[in-house]
Amino acid sequence: MKMNRRGFIKACGIMAGYAVLGLNTVRTAAADVMNFVAQRQKSVYDADANSGIYKYRKSQDNPMIKKIYDHKDGFLHEGPCGHMSHHLLHTHYVDRSARVAALKDKGFKFNL
Amino acid sequence: MRQIEGVMYQTNAPKGVDPDGIFFVQVDATRCEACGSCEEVCGTGAIQAINEDGIRQVVDPAACMNCGQCLISCPYGAIYEGVSYVDEIFEKLKDPDTIVVSMPAPAVRYGLGECFGAPTGTYVGGQMHAALRQLGFDYIWDNEFTADVTIMEEGTELIQRVKEQGKKDARPLPQFTSCCPGWVKFAETFYPDLTPNLSSCKSPIGMLGPLAKTYGAHETKSEARKIYTVSIMPCIAKKYEGLRPELADSGFRDIDATINTRELAYMIKTAGINFNSLPSQQPDPILGDSTGAATIFGNSGGVMEAALRLAYEVLSGKKLSNPDIKVVRTHEGINTADVKVPGFGTVKVAVASGLANAAKLCDEVRAGKSPYHFIEIMTCPGGCVNGGGQPLDPEIRASLFRSTVAQINKRFRARKVGA
Repeated sequence: MKMNRRGFIKACGIMAGYAVLGLNTVRTAAADVMNFVAQRQKSVYDADANSGIYKYRKSQDNPMIKKIYDHKDGFLHEGPCGHMSHHLLHTHYVDRSARVAALKDKGFKFNL
Repeated sequence: MRQIEGVMYQTNAPKGVDPDGIFFVQVDATRCEACGSCEEVCGTGAIQAINEDGIRQVVDPAACMNCGQCLISCPYGAIYEGVSYVDEIFEKLKDPDTIVVSMPAPAVRYGLGECFGAPTGTYVGGQMHAALRQLGFDYIWDNEFTADVTIMEEGTELIQRVKEQGKKDARPLPQFTSCCPGWVKFAETFYPDLTPNLSSCKSPIGMLGPLAKTYGAHETKSEARKIYTVSIMPCIAKKYEGLRPELADSGFRDIDATINTRELAYMIKTAGINFNSLPSQQPDPILGDSTGAATIFGNSGGVMEAALRLAYEVLSGKKLSNPDIKVVRTHEGINTADVKVPGFGTVKVAVASGLANAAKLCDEVRAGKSPYHFIEIMTCPGGCVNGGGQPLDPEIRASLFRSTVAQINKRFRARKVGA
């Protein structure tokens, strides 16, 4: 692509913007996002370790899990991956590659 | 269009349609400032410049995993959601003949408070249950219960896969997690040859829908056909998952409506509920009680840690005295660990969030070079707590650098048009 006068001024303007604000701003912005996520993550682990919120910390210790998987009269009495589990709780997957392949044939470019 | 917590929404609740044809996320060309933030965070390249001015669009729903990372990273609020069930849910809540069931995901309770002025990450699980009760939901059930069920099912599946290696028709290793709907669509679209490695388990919400209309209906003596299930997620891709035609194993649609954290905050505000003065309340029994293992599903590495808390005890026959398995906790990128289980050996695991990292692990598996037994993948960096349906990070909209660059761009575009 040939650069015209307007394009050149635009590029200079953007470079000036970078020069004024500094690349550090970009790095700080990226770090801010991850700090934000880290605060939510910390809160999750704090709740997990707080016995006032979660009395049990392992799925197999949940009394309602013991009830649903009870060998005698539990709804899923055959245990995990049993017949009822397979009917209600397991699934299958579909090959969805054809539509993206068709888009690529039309000239669209994707990352993969 | 309607604005909800800083994001525009089309008020459209699709039924019985092919979700592959829906734009769950799209750019409003009139508000796009061509800064390119969306393109930088997109894992597949589905969001691209469509003209010389650099205006971005999601070019086709087939290439979009509906994760919404572009939406939460846009400094201009130019990206909107295409699907919202809010109006339909309000109608169902008013209808005395409909039994409305709430099904919130773990991460919702670590984001919802932010919409009511609480500091980032504040846990508001108890108030969330109270608010759902005040909104008129008939059963306050919780997706965390089925996170515990997922551990039982997916952990058992992993142990089965490990044991059947070398036998005829053995299912392949590593086993991939299947909780994240963006990742599942990604695997189906870009790595369909690896779907045998995906756990056959539905996601926790995919399990709670059918359990509510079978087991839940039976235990509460409710008519299954009257039950309306509302999935409440930190996620946009869950709206796609809820519309998957195969999720109808209860004899009805398993999931009737899907909203996200922002839309729940909007419903609470619209109903005039004073969220901050609500007392902490428990969910309803049967499908409501959960554990710490369930709540950590909201973090990258959480499903892995929860599964290992089960696998350790099943494989070794011993009690795991300290449930903290900190080596798998993942903030960014790819994390790998060798977990030693007495009486069994070493379980090799990998945890990744972000689709670029997922692709690296998938390429390794495809090449037959993956040493792992179990791989957890989340589409959103950091996990569901950073999902596309969570309250926005106020810093992003305030980013001085991005707005300056975009203003320079816009000025030169305007002159070009005027010339």
